[in-house]
Amino acid sequence: MLKEKQMTDIEKNLLAYIQKECLSKNSDSLPGLDDDLFDAGIVDSAGLISFLAFIEKEYHINIPDEDLLPENFKSISAITNYLSSRIYVR
Amino acid sequence: MNRLRKCLVWDLDNTLWDGVLLEEPVSVKPEVVDVIKELDSRGILNSIASRGDERLSLSNLEKNNLKELFLVPQINWQPKSQSILKISSELNISLDAIAFIDDDEFELEQISYMLPDVLTFHAEDAKNLPTYPDFSPLEITAEAKERRKLYQAEMQRKTAEENFKSRKEFLISCRMKLTIRPMKEDDITRVLELMTRTHQLNTTGIILTKDEIKNIYQQGADGKNIYVADLEDRFGWYGIVGVAMCEADKVLWRLNYLAISCRVMGRGIEKAILITLVEKAIQNDFKSIEAEFIDTGKNKMMRGLYQMSGFVGEKNESNSDRIKFYAVKNKLARVPEWVQVL
Repeated sequence: MLKEKQMTDIEKNLLAYIQKECLSKNSDSLPGLDDDLFDAGIVDSAGLISFLAFIEKEYHINIPDEDLLPENFKSISAITNYLSSRIYVR
Repeated sequence: MNRLRKCLVWDLDNTLWDGVLLEEPVSVKPEVVDVIKELDSRGILNSIASRGDERLSLSNLEKNNLKELFLVPQINWQPKSQSILKISSELNISLDAIAFIDDDEFELEQISYMLPDVLTFHAEDAKNLPTYPDFSPLEITAEAKERRKLYQAEMQRKTAEENFKSRKEFLISCRMKLTIRPMKEDDITRVLELMTRTHQLNTTGIILTKDEIKNIYQQGADGKNIYVADLEDRFGWYGIVGVAMCEADKVLWRLNYLAISCRVMGRGIEKAILITLVEKAIQNDFKSIEAEFIDTGKNKMMRGLYQMSGFVGEKNESNSDRIKFYAVKNKLARVPEWVQVL
């Protein structure tokens, strides 16, 4: 995994959500940026919807249902790319 | 008002047993134990809100082989209203589905005042409880009979998860076994229960009557148009956690309905069930796989499931809430590796 300073703010923010909401207290294994979050058991259909709600609120966007696709949401980097296409990154 | 109660909260001193444990030798009331066991067999959970010494009380329950009958017992010196609130939140049962029984009028009054949704009973009334409608479900499914054990297994799962460093390691350690089989006539009550209670992991929100389910069942050869999914793991049996209705037309196989219990959320079971059904259809030489989706405003999870699993949607022009999904070859997701499909 990349060192923290090399990660973008979006990636850090998404990982912080995963650590807080998707992993157990004693877990110290955060997913890599390209790891498939579904294959790692970190999110499933229910987890994805909560994650989306967080992202929508955090970045003040509305994610249309049509956009729920693996290429947009399967990994931290996929979500980051998707978000970068939707918001202005400072 | 007469809502069925899902949980009965017991006082201990002079309710479950004669006497006050901290002051004298006590004796468990056998007729009360019978009531507890009867309610337990109906799928009604028993818990405890009692003032006293926790360790002493629990060891007395254990000595009398009663401890395992109670979920999340609250034995402390707090107001009982607090204990009941805690039980409600830990079991995820709303207050209007909880009842409380005590020998002390003051406690009963206090609960009625503080938590008016909780139904209260005097200890003298204990032996009559099984005859009351509040504790008499119309039908008792196999899942209901096991309900307490299902909760106990779930608590063990939560504790176990904390000992694992990664989510996947934990999921693999659970050794989940999923069986997908044609529905049998005995399963209809549970299927109906799933259709009525499941809102989020439900692809259409349609609720059928018992007769309609029977009709569909009888039309299918050997019940091959309604499937149920049964799940178990090393902590115990979950029961039937999913129901699928499908139909076949020459080379086309269509999934008309899929609902999965919210009790198994977070384990990828919905994906395992969907993919297994689709793989079965492909093995049986169906060339075109379709799945029906109706937006109910609550079931975005299922739309996400289809789209994230390799299905592509086509909106219905006359009805924008309806989407017909097609499985796309080579894009289909796999069954999560921690689920063994039998």
